[in-house]
Amino acid sequence: MKDKYVTLTINGRKTTLVVEDRTTLLTALREYGVTSLKRGCEEGECGACTVIMNGLPQKSCLILVREAEGAEILTVEGLIKKGRLHPVQQAFIDEGAIQCGYCTPGMVMTTYALLSKNPSPEEEEIREALSGNICRCTGYLSIIRAVKKSADILSGKAKGGELREDD
Amino acid sequence: MKTIKTKTGIGKWLPRKYDLQKAEGTLQFADDLRFGPELLHASVVRSSVAHGEIIDIDYSEALKMPGVLKVIVGEDFPYHFGLYLKDRTPMAIGRTRYMGEPVALVVAETEEDAKEAVKKVKVTYKELEPVFDPVKAATTNSVLVHPDLHKYDHVDFITPQPNTNIANWFRIRKGDTEAAFKNAAHVFEETITCPQIAHGFIETFCSICKQDPGSGEITIWTSAQSAFTVRDIIAKGINYPLHKIRVIAPPVGGGFGGKAGMTVEALCLAAAMDEDLKGRPVKLFIPREEVLLSSWVRQGFVARIELAVDEDGLMQGIRNTFWFDTGISAEYGANPVRSARYTSMGAYNIPNVWADCYAVYTNKPFGGAYRGFGLPELMSALEVVVDIVAHKLKIDPVEFRKKNLLMKGQTTCTGMPMHDHALDKIIDKVAKKIDVLKEEPPIRKGWKRGKGIALAIKAPAIPADASSSAIVKLNGDGTVEVLAATMDMGQGTYSAFAQIVSEELGIPYDWIKVYYPDTQSHPYDWQTAASRSCWSMGMAVKRAASELREKLLALFAEYWQTPVENISIEYGVVKCHKLGKSERIDERVQNGFKMPDGILKGGPIIGTGSFTPPDLLYPDPDTGQSPKSVTHFTLGAVGVDMEVDPATGRIIINKVCAGYDVGKAITPINIKGQIEGGTVQGLSACLMEGMTYDEHGKLLTPDFTDYKIATIKDAPGEIDAFWEETPEEISPYGNRGVGEHSMIAPAPATNNALFRATGMRIHSYPLSRERVYKALKAKEKGETDFWEWPYALDLAYERAKKEW
Ligand code: FES
Ligand code: FES
Repeated sequence: MKDKYVTLTINGRKTTLVVEDRTTLLTALREYGVTSLKRGCEEGECGACTVIMNGLPQKSCLILVREAEGAEILTVEGLIKKGRLHPVQQAFIDEGAIQCGYCTPGMVMTTYALLSKNPSPEEEEIREALSGNICRCTGYLSIIRAVKKSADILSGKAKGGELREDD
Repeated sequence: MKTIKTKTGIGKWLPRKYDLQKAEGTLQFADDLRFGPELLHASVVRSSVAHGEIIDIDYSEALKMPGVLKVIVGEDFPYHFGLYLKDRTPMAIGRTRYMGEPVALVVAETEEDAKEAVKKVKVTYKELEPVFDPVKAATTNSVLVHPDLHKYDHVDFITPQPNTNIANWFRIRKGDTEAAFKNAAHVFEETITCPQIAHGFIETFCSICKQDPGSGEITIWTSAQSAFTVRDIIAKGINYPLHKIRVIAPPVGGGFGGKAGMTVEALCLAAAMDEDLKGRPVKLFIPREEVLLSSWVRQGFVARIELAVDEDGLMQGIRNTFWFDTGISAEYGANPVRSARYTSMGAYNIPNVWADCYAVYTNKPFGGAYRGFGLPELMSALEVVVDIVAHKLKIDPVEFRKKNLLMKGQTTCTGMPMHDHALDKIIDKVAKKIDVLKEEPPIRKGWKRGKGIALAIKAPAIPADASSSAIVKLNGDGTVEVLAATMDMGQGTYSAFAQIVSEELGIPYDWIKVYYPDTQSHPYDWQTAASRSCWSMGMAVKRAASELREKLLALFAEYWQTPVENISIEYGVVKCHKLGKSERIDERVQNGFKMPDGILKGGPIIGTGSFTPPDLLYPDPDTGQSPKSVTHFTLGAVGVDMEVDPATGRIIINKVCAGYDVGKAITPINIKGQIEGGTVQGLSACLMEGMTYDEHGKLLTPDFTDYKIATIKDAPGEIDAFWEETPEEISPYGNRGVGEHSMIAPAPATNNALFRATGMRIHSYPLSRERVYKALKAKEKGETDFWEWPYALDLAYERAKKEW
């Protein structure tokens, strides 16, 4: 197969990648070095490969990288600004919404996309938005709490970095 | 004496270790490791028949494909592997036993090249008659999955039955069951089945193996729960020196037992040890649809349970037959059978017990460890049977359970006395929190609502000599490093170990690092399994940390010329209040203290600790009796409030309440996480999961589209998780394991709730929409019980059931 070139912006950095026709965005990004996205199923079922492409959450295993020519890609690595976690990342830690962490980058990106569109989602909306991301470890309730807390941090109603404690 | 002060010791809520890196996306799992252009890739050719002789493997075309270096077949790597029973070869040799079994391995320069070439390998089979139904396999022997069973090595606590499909047969003979049944006022008999289910971790399997050509030293990077067990199984399998095998286990993206023992390491090693490839690292990444096709599953389960109850509603006898469908290998799957047997009385005081547990070979993917290790299956059956009996005797299900509870001093089915626990209190709390006896109107129009309760019990079914050891090192800046070869795969053990070290050393949690396992640097640990880590490895870590503390305090005592009792470590600072001294831990803990006499003393300070269960005795093989068959039990109860839509069979869980006696909570955030996660995994198994095969043994549920697991939409509205603390005697702080236990009771509690809602008993899991719908239709025709045997085309079970 002949090599082709694709130019895209990954976490703010413009890059040209050498790819094949069959290369998915997931494979291309992982080979480039962005390994936060995971190969959970490579069939669009698990959400572990979720990235934000041109502002929308996408399962990168379902996109051929050549379709991403000129695209702006944001991954969980790109959320960190000046060494500080994004509120969504912080909220996931605070609420114990991370166990093995394999689903976490995808969960965080989907949450980020949801909150950019809908800054104070209802629980039903959260469940709808995250229904394409599978987590086998947490049982999801902590993730729902984390999304709510993310919204609260972003709107100034809560502070990140404080752990939830049960009585 | 311990003189420490800390705000971050055991019992505190703290941010979990490595959560930061997980949130940042920088934590590297096995698939994220990079090995440069030398890396080769392997891809697997899999059997297309469930049972067949391999007549020919023609890979000449594959070798012509771009990038392909080699094709390896079973005969090239003819070793048998296994943890308890060596019945497994990495690739089929001569005969393939399930559809999906590896028959050849293609090695190429890139993953794509390897995958393309796999399609060019032609395998010719002579098909043999397969057997899929475990009851048929066990009772007829018409097809033998392992005719060579008598030749396989095994540990002495399992008992394969040569010339049958029974890989392990465990018995309990306690008391006089015959008399108990003869004299009983009431006798009941019920049958319940569970299908095989998949672990569904999001990280699939990935191994990278490399052999140094000169020294022969092997390095394995692998997604494994138990680095040392991988090393052990491989060393014994290929008869290789232990010290020449190094296993590095990067973080694991979910295990649930599916990455305990050896998974794909030996298969990858077959390529890395090949004469022509040796020296180059070889990577074997198993894509999702091959994971479900070809790896560990939770064993299918058929239970027949008979219960004898006296006039007063007390259980007097139980007779159990459990068939575990272990697929083509019982190398690990032999042991959940033992685990279930140890608890074949459930959480009840039953004086007379007769139990037969079988691990049965069939032509399906193999059974192994799965969160709960035999107990979710057993309790999914037993707790439903107990509910049926309570209903038939017109005793309320809470009272019936409490009346028969196995309390301190009463003996389990293996004759071992039960220790103290708070299960009675937990049952009361659960019953109250969801008002289990109160009927309430459904929240959704036209639906039916019900509530149910079920108990959980489980002991670690570890070998008697399963040991742990740990090293704790003090750095020259007062920080601490812990080497404890437990895998933190999300359950959060490293946070627990750091809290234990903080508790023992008075050093802040944030200053304590715990590293992922590497057999080269870490001291030995048996496995990350059996919910044993905070208990067994916790003991080793505690001992190591307190040894370190003693050494440090002794040096300061001499340095300050004061008795050691006067010295304390407070929030990372060493103090002597009497002398008004206060000093930070600094390089002196590396290079030694200059004592008042001018002599340098000390040097690098490390603490070591180890732990082996002190008093376990394997049960008598004929009766299953032993004064101490297991170290301890963790008990709990789950209440479920659910409703069902009769029009569609859909079940929605309103609320779950789950409580366990954890002995002592080391890391509350972990316990809460384990209860929430295990509850949903248990509900998922109950409501939607099951491996399904067609009549040829082809898996019909190879991916997450067909094999459904719970999504966020299936999670209950609320989980009320709580715990009690009745301390365990032999334990670091009285703590017991709870990681697996949360998965045991949600399924039977839901099943019992469904009965309260509808009056219908479903005897086959999962309670899928279709099945519930069909059951409710049957109910309209007057049926009260419903079950569907998963092997629809194999009616042997129906016959066998009659013959019983
Ligand atoms: S890897 Fe893309 S959805 Fe699973
Ligand atoms: S934390 Fe393990 S899959 Fe979500």
